[in-house]
Amino acid sequence: MRAAKSAYPLTWRIMDALEAFAAFVWPARFGRAIPWLMLAPALLLVGLLVLGLWQIGDVSLRTLDTSTFLMSEAYTLANYQRAFTESLFAVVAWRSLAGSLIVTVVTLTLAFPYAYVMVRTSSPTTRKLLLIALFLPFFIGQVVRAYGWLIILGNQGMVNEALGLVRIAPIRLLYNYWAVLFGLVQYMLPFAVLMLAPALTAIPEELEAAAGSLGADWARTFRHIVLPLARPGLVGAGLVVMTLSLTDFAMPAILGGGSQDFIANAIYDQFFRTSDQGLGSTLALLLVAAGSMLVGLVFTLFGAGTLAVGRARR
Amino acid sequence: MPAALKGSAIKPKLEGPTVAVSVKSVNMVYDGVHAVRSASFDLETGKFLTILGPSGSGKTTLLRLIAGSQRPTSGEIFINGAAVSAVPPHKRSIGMVFQKLALFPHMTAAENVAFPLKMRRSDARAIPARVERYLDMVRLGGYGTRRVHELSGGQQQRVAIARALVFEPDLLLLDEPLAALDRKLREEMQLEFRRIQRELGVTTINVTHDQREALVVSDEIIVMDRGEIQQKARPSETYRSPSNAFVANFIGVTNFLDAPDGERRAIRAEKIRIAPTRHGLVGADTIVEGIVADAIFEGERVVYEVRVASLGDSLLRVFDHDPSAHSQLEPGSAVYLGWTAGDVLEFKP
Repeated sequence: MRAAKSAYPLTWRIMDALEAFAAFVWPARFGRAIPWLMLAPALLLVGLLVLGLWQIGDVSLRTLDTSTFLMSEAYTLANYQRAFTESLFAVVAWRSLAGSLIVTVVTLTLAFPYAYVMVRTSSPTTRKLLLIALFLPFFIGQVVRAYGWLIILGNQGMVNEALGLVRIAPIRLLYNYWAVLFGLVQYMLPFAVLMLAPALTAIPEELEAAAGSLGADWARTFRHIVLPLARPGLVGAGLVVMTLSLTDFAMPAILGGGSQDFIANAIYDQFFRTSDQGLGSTLALLLVAAGSMLVGLVFTLFGAGTLAVGRARR
Repeated sequence: MPAALKGSAIKPKLEGPTVAVSVKSVNMVYDGVHAVRSASFDLETGKFLTILGPSGSGKTTLLRLIAGSQRPTSGEIFINGAAVSAVPPHKRSIGMVFQKLALFPHMTAAENVAFPLKMRRSDARAIPARVERYLDMVRLGGYGTRRVHELSGGQQQRVAIARALVFEPDLLLLDEPLAALDRKLREEMQLEFRRIQRELGVTTINVTHDQREALVVSDEIIVMDRGEIQQKARPSETYRSPSNAFVANFIGVTNFLDAPDGERRAIRAEKIRIAPTRHGLVGADTIVEGIVADAIFEGERVVYEVRVASLGDSLLRVFDHDPSAHSQLEPGSAVYLGWTAGDVLEFKP
């Protein structure tokens, strides 16, 4: 009895039952439809998104009648004209774009050595500690984390209290551009490390040993071997960090205190403060366009293969 | 004189033998396990040495200690007379061909070969000609612009060799680079290694578990087992007079004959003659009777396994290199085995 069990374990029997069930509801002659079936959930989601986008596109072409608070019946490009001419939106757009660029560069600079040590360390304890430190912040939502920074960096916060101990007057650390960027970097770091780690794992360690035996010291091995081979990971991580920062809402809202709005905050204001859905939709579409152009630019510069999409470039 | 301007690929012959590598009572202990135990040997300049042993014998560890990627627990290694334990790998003048080649995938063949020259700050104007010369030497002239993945396995081997030699290192180390190749290509590359090594006269240490490769390519063979050097000798000597039972068993096919006095005696499979009758074994000093247990046709020879009752029912392996002399003996048939006393190897227990 025992021998029979181990020869044909319970998990196999469960799999058999599942396969029989699958064969019943989806007979083999439907086999050619299986790829489509697997794509269905994603296609449904994308379809909903496209529908939503269509709706937003429609609204963006109507203006708000401030006397009735209804959208105009006629189509007009007035919202686009406002978005491109009013200096407020230019400031917000420039702030978001520059901010996301700075955040990307800083995050990658910090994430690369972290990921490198995590991948290359010979001590399992170090690797575990680094992983835990990486994942702990993941369990804390972005908004809660931003409030955490309010507590730490506020005028009566821990940092200023510590400065008070050495008789330094409180410094205003919050509600400025750098506070927002700091919060964003801290939020993006785990994403960047998680995207860099597989790219670094894919670089065989003996390439570095080979470079050493061929006369390259640590710095030159890094520059000539590790960095070029890690490029796909760097591009992928950079792309994720950049688009997430560009579209971020919580950090500018909470750590910027209303004075450091990014595009998403401006969209929020249009929808929920001034109730101008038309202008809000316009800004949203422009954000989508800017993001898509950035991704397109990166793909043309480095190739889609850098994200391990499609075949590797020959 | 800068390395880039050194004369032809063929180094001038030095007068008298000089010692290129000297390993003195080197020990390597990992977590209480002796990976290498009191290893000592000298290697003359220009010689091709193979360190041969089964996996876990410490041969790769010994190579890494010479390469400098690991430091010995005790003992010292000298390269051209200088102690190197404190010298990091990138400052040793050692060319290394790695087990998985470790070619740089983001570079062309020529860029791979140029890499060590660039890292050693050779004269940039001299690099292209020199890279071309070494690619020619490994018979890859014209392949310089190919990327690594566009080359076949054998071509990649050649790039790895050119890259390890282009900066004219004092020492070439081969860390089982042929292990992954199919047999035909492996045998071709063995001869290629031999040719290049002779052409350049570079002192070479090769690590392998392939006894045939060791016999074919080497001037000298070190056999290692369980971290210890068992024998260091020329290939023919290693084969003809193995210093102990391990070496005899590891190189070639050897039958151990039970001996009552505790001294182990052995005979090579090719030294045993086989015949269906006693008359076929004229001149043999010892003749035993046996039953064929298995007969394996290998083309140029037939391998017999013969059960011999008078030797404690042990199975003896016999190579019959002239299968046409008599028809193949079928399993189950009674045969006679014979050998001469001079071919019996004897080992102290």
